[in-house]
Amino acid sequence: MTPERVLVAILGLDQHETGALAVSSMLRDAGMEVIYLGRFASPQTIAATALDESVDVVGVSCHSWEYVYYVDDLLRLLRERDHGIPLVLGGSVITPADGRRLREKGVAAVFGPSASADEIVRAVRDLAAQRRLAH
Amino acid sequence: MTSRRSLSDIAVKPFYGPEDSAALDYEKALGDPGSYPYTRGRRTRLERGGAWIQRELSGEGPPARSNAQFRYLIEKGAAGLDVIGDAPTVACLDPDNSFARNSIGTQGVSLCRLEDFRELYDGIPIDRVTLSHSLPGWFAVAGIYLVARERGVAAEVLRGSVIQTPLYAEDYCYAVHMPVELRLRLTLDSIEFCSREMPRFHSFVEDTYYVSDGGPDAVDEMALGFVEIRKVVRELVARGLDVDRFAPRIAILVNCRMGFFEEIAKIRATRRLFARMMREEFGARDPRSWSVNITAHTAGSSLTAEQPINNVVRGTTQALALALAGVQAIEISAFDEAYRTPSPESHLVGLRTQQILALETGVARVADPLGGSYYVESLTDEMERRICARIAEIETMGDAAELSARGWFRTMLENAMVQRVREIEDGTVPRVGVNVFRMSDDEDRLLRDVAETKIEPCWDHAERIREFKRTRNERPVVASLADLRAQAADDRASLMPPILAALDAGATLGEISGVLRLAYGQAYDPFGTDKPPAGLFGDAPEGMLA
Repeated sequence: MTPERVLVAILGLDQHETGALAVSSMLRDAGMEVIYLGRFASPQTIAATALDESVDVVGVSCHSWEYVYYVDDLLRLLRERDHGIPLVLGGSVITPADGRRLREKGVAAVFGPSASADEIVRAVRDLAAQRRLAH
Repeated sequence: MTSRRSLSDIAVKPFYGPEDSAALDYEKALGDPGSYPYTRGRRTRLERGGAWIQRELSGEGPPARSNAQFRYLIEKGAAGLDVIGDAPTVACLDPDNSFARNSIGTQGVSLCRLEDFRELYDGIPIDRVTLSHSLPGWFAVAGIYLVARERGVAAEVLRGSVIQTPLYAEDYCYAVHMPVELRLRLTLDSIEFCSREMPRFHSFVEDTYYVSDGGPDAVDEMALGFVEIRKVVRELVARGLDVDRFAPRIAILVNCRMGFFEEIAKIRATRRLFARMMREEFGARDPRSWSVNITAHTAGSSLTAEQPINNVVRGTTQALALALAGVQAIEISAFDEAYRTPSPESHLVGLRTQQILALETGVARVADPLGGSYYVESLTDEMERRICARIAEIETMGDAAELSARGWFRTMLENAMVQRVREIEDGTVPRVGVNVFRMSDDEDRLLRDVAETKIEPCWDHAERIREFKRTRNERPVVASLADLRAQAADDRASLMPPILAALDAGATLGEISGVLRLAYGQAYDPFGTDKPPAGLFGDAPEGMLA
């Protein structure tokens, strides 16, 4: 099986990058390919890059509340045209209650500040496998 | 079991004795507090009855809400103010930029025009309170200067500071979407302007806090800081400025992590390094140029989303280290740091922590109380050695601005960020509540409700700015921006006079920055949505404006 391909990005003007870089590094260590879009991404640039790069999973690191206002657009764009690319969110600003709401909206997995590298790697790997089975 | 290595990976012995500081020459390496090389601090007699300037970082919503925060902090005993811009402001964008929409006023205050500075400082005694700014340096200088002029306050009496971030900001948390040559020019022009017009104002705060929080360790933090200071000083001297004209107003805003003694040693080593560098290398003759003003923020990245009340203890411990190191001002990062900009509750706890330390413990009665400690002196020497070696290593590779343009610092910072997370992840660095002594979410409720309260973006403020742009007198705006563009094309011109004129004429942060970006071959709006005021740049290529 070819390595899972994961897009990692940060939405809007949030410039806290540590989480995104650290998760990218953990995913690479686990044998995945990471397309690092980094800071200043919009739902549109994320969806377009996800499609161009044929990624299996999109991961967004959230250290400001901008995600609250972008997540609906992002989910819609990732579902459009039958992409169905699963979206994973993680970050210190995501509270347990936020996590429940996001999963109800259709975010595939949500990680708060306490998530371990193992949990994140396992969830991304499972989501990638499910998506590959479905396509 | 605690580690036998410090956070900066320095081996630590079980105890230290006379042989560890045997080579120490008191006069050469330490000197009394207030005398060269200032290892033991800047002043003989500590200011303000022995304490430091107590302040807390603030900034939220539209300017009027930040003004209310200022009043609250002053009323509660803060001796200084430090305001941080929201994400659009620190990125040099206006709140009506469509990409700014969801971050207006949520992580700082939204400022883009002169009227915003008027509202920000309304009723604040700007001639008496020190005003620190975590904002684009040139913009803060222009704003405070114009407000003071309108209010009849002489610019010479203004005290406070601005951070200057020419080399690393683009790579780390404060990207303004400008090339390094332009960032450096704005830094130099604003420092040069202040050296003439605002001589008491610290126009050059080397901010090693932001560039190390969550990334570089204490050694690399100071090495990066010194590399930037040295670059700026060399450039200012090359412009023909006497080093003693500006060096007394250089300050360093340092980080303070949980490595208690290492942070103290870092600050002591920094004062010594700075003094020797200024006197011996740059030929400064004024003792005020030798003794650097050091202010500090306690490390936001050491704070946890888990069990937020533990952050009060972390802030207290770090502030104690800073008090013992003898810094000029302290800001304690708020216990809700992991979630949001400080709530009123966390502002109050931060201030009260400082007041308790200053008034109840007596830690500030004696200058440099740890001086002479076998361990602290040995560690100060070791930090100095390591910082020096790292500065030399970086400078050997080339000019700092070129290294920045080439992405060398970006790679270094990326690696450091990943390493900090890994240390927590693999347990090398213990963090209570995160990798040891964890609690379930259900049990971990204390202060969580305060910390988890979200602030909504100030869309109505963006609407105000749109309305302002629709109704202002456009002619002087366009004329001043056209002049700014002409001055930007002339390398020898200072950008401060046209920036002041543009801000005064009603131009905004985003417009001024956009014009400067264009002059340096970049897009007016890095996100391709904003356009310059109609009538300006009819001749610019369409692609550059889009």
